[in-house]
Amino acid sequence: MTRVGLIVNPAAGRDIRRLVGLASVVPNHEKAAIVRRVLAGLAAAGVTEVRYLPDPAGIVISALDGSTGEIRATPVEMTIRGTADDSLHAAQLLVGLGARAIVTLGGDGTNRAVAGGCGDVPLVSISTGTNNVFPTMIDGTVAGVAAGLVATGRVEADSVCTRTKVVNVATDGLRDFALVDAAVCTDRFVGARAIWDPSRIRALVFARTDPWAVGLSSIGGQLLSLGADEPAGLYVEIGSGPCVRAVLAPGVVVDVPIHGHRVLELDEVVELPTAGTLALDGEREVPIKHSARAWVAATGPRVVDIRATLALARRNGD
Amino acid sequence: MPTEEALREMHHQMVRIRLFEETLKSVYMEGKAPAFDIAAGPVPGEMHLAAGQEPVAAGVCTQLRPSDAITATHRPHHVALAHGMDMKRLAAEIFGKDTGLGHGKGGHMHLFDMETHFGCSGIIAEGMPTAVGHALAFKKQGRDDIAVSFFGEGAANQGAFHESLNLAGLWDLGVVFVCEDNAWAISVPKDKATAIANNSDRAAAYGIPGALIPDNDPVAIYEAATEAIARARSGRGPSLIEIKTDRLFGHFEGDPQVYRTPEEMETLEKRDALKKFEKHLAETGVLTADSAKAVWDTAQAEVDEAIEFARESPSPKPESALEHVFA
Repeated sequence: MTRVGLIVNPAAGRDIRRLVGLASVVPNHEKAAIVRRVLAGLAAAGVTEVRYLPDPAGIVISALDGSTGEIRATPVEMTIRGTADDSLHAAQLLVGLGARAIVTLGGDGTNRAVAGGCGDVPLVSISTGTNNVFPTMIDGTVAGVAAGLVATGRVEADSVCTRTKVVNVATDGLRDFALVDAAVCTDRFVGARAIWDPSRIRALVFARTDPWAVGLSSIGGQLLSLGADEPAGLYVEIGSGPCVRAVLAPGVVVDVPIHGHRVLELDEVVELPTAGTLALDGEREVPIKHSARAWVAATGPRVVDIRATLALARRNGD
Repeated sequence: MPTEEALREMHHQMVRIRLFEETLKSVYMEGKAPAFDIAAGPVPGEMHLAAGQEPVAAGVCTQLRPSDAITATHRPHHVALAHGMDMKRLAAEIFGKDTGLGHGKGGHMHLFDMETHFGCSGIIAEGMPTAVGHALAFKKQGRDDIAVSFFGEGAANQGAFHESLNLAGLWDLGVVFVCEDNAWAISVPKDKATAIANNSDRAAAYGIPGALIPDNDPVAIYEAATEAIARARSGRGPSLIEIKTDRLFGHFEGDPQVYRTPEEMETLEKRDALKKFEKHLAETGVLTADSAKAVWDTAQAEVDEAIEFARESPSPKPESALEHVFA
């Protein structure tokens, strides 16, 4: 029996960027529809069992309502606290339950939480959040098929999975990581978490950048493109200097003055300015009291290339 | 992000609100024992206290002008005080005294203050179309004052909620709709009454932005309110902010709260937003131990003075029964 994990974040895509910018809302009934499509894809690929995070909004239960029963879907047994730790904890439990792949619905923040607990289990990440650099905007059915093909072994995981990079951070004895970017922000409070004002950013470290990205990684993306599998990172200091035009949030295009930037080698440690808070994947998370440093490492989760998986399956006659 | 001065003001408001509500909790029960006689004692009628919901008042109201209008609910004291309502006149009204806002004839759920443009009602969702009316008046008068409508998550299932968001969205009115989701509509949990998990999602149905603040954090609420207030004031129209907040006390004073588990009550106490905020202000140097104590001492003195004023004030004369009423 092939088991696949499913983690849906009901809170993804609802924060202040709906007020600050033009960020969309992905309502929970649409997330349920995506889950139905995922399940259809998984079934088509031969998956027979799904274990899922019992989200407090009942998205997965709603998706299962009226399902054909091709897949046996049961919640993992866990205490729900309604925080990001639910996703982390669910990922850890799914690993222990022998999940061969984990499908996530959320943004960068959701996937960061999952990445903290998924170990080597490949991730198929569907975008439903606000900052969606890490997950993929793709139809749920196709994502489900790809996850199923990898989970059942019909497509060899090593041939379609990439070990992603992370930005590791250490501050005042605390360790954490980001999947895409870490930023030093002058705000002293976590508050509404999101960052949309470049005047409050001092420095950034990127694991990956693209010129079409939305969020803080748009800043790096205007300087150079750094692929998810390139063995390097990027450090940027914000300050007096020529500006780049970045899309900091949906509908929010701003000029960001760049004081300097340089490519980092993997595991090269950079000392960060000690100011305010550290934002991980675009969300203020950790107050900085005395010191902070960051380094990019190739120690992130394994991510399934959905398109490559389907292409390889076609070549294999699957 | 609030300035240090704004953070201290938010803390001050949260402390004075908490002390006011805690003092009322005690005073309200005077004379009502052993059998709970709602008419007995110095404070007649029902009492719905907002302890736990201080971050909403501090985060939103400290950014408003006195000329902005607020409509609120049966649980109004926190937003009333944070918007500048005179504490003595508020207390006197709660005590049913002639020196109160409504000459003692409205009581704690019917507070109307022309100086701060504040009104509230015990009818669920009543304040929402009223706020829309305020905003329409401001628009016609060419003013950039705004209206803020506070309501609970239960009110979001009323027709008036939908009518108000629709009209405000249609006419681009300067309203900030603030949903205080404390998880309980009296004793009915939200998931037994509302078809969706987040009322902020409903804003999209009316073409207006909606955002969720998930953790009763005063700074997060402040940041969201800054954006929504600016949007309303600049003529770009209404917004909906949904805030997951905490109701520390019962729905009403005297409520045995048998529908809440001991685990929930323990969790509520542990995540008391006022304590967390004060701790963080101390850690960031915004408050010192001495300055925090001064805030609490000053606020307690203010509350004591207001309660004493209410106790000592005269009741309305019986011959004035037909004055100040509209029918």
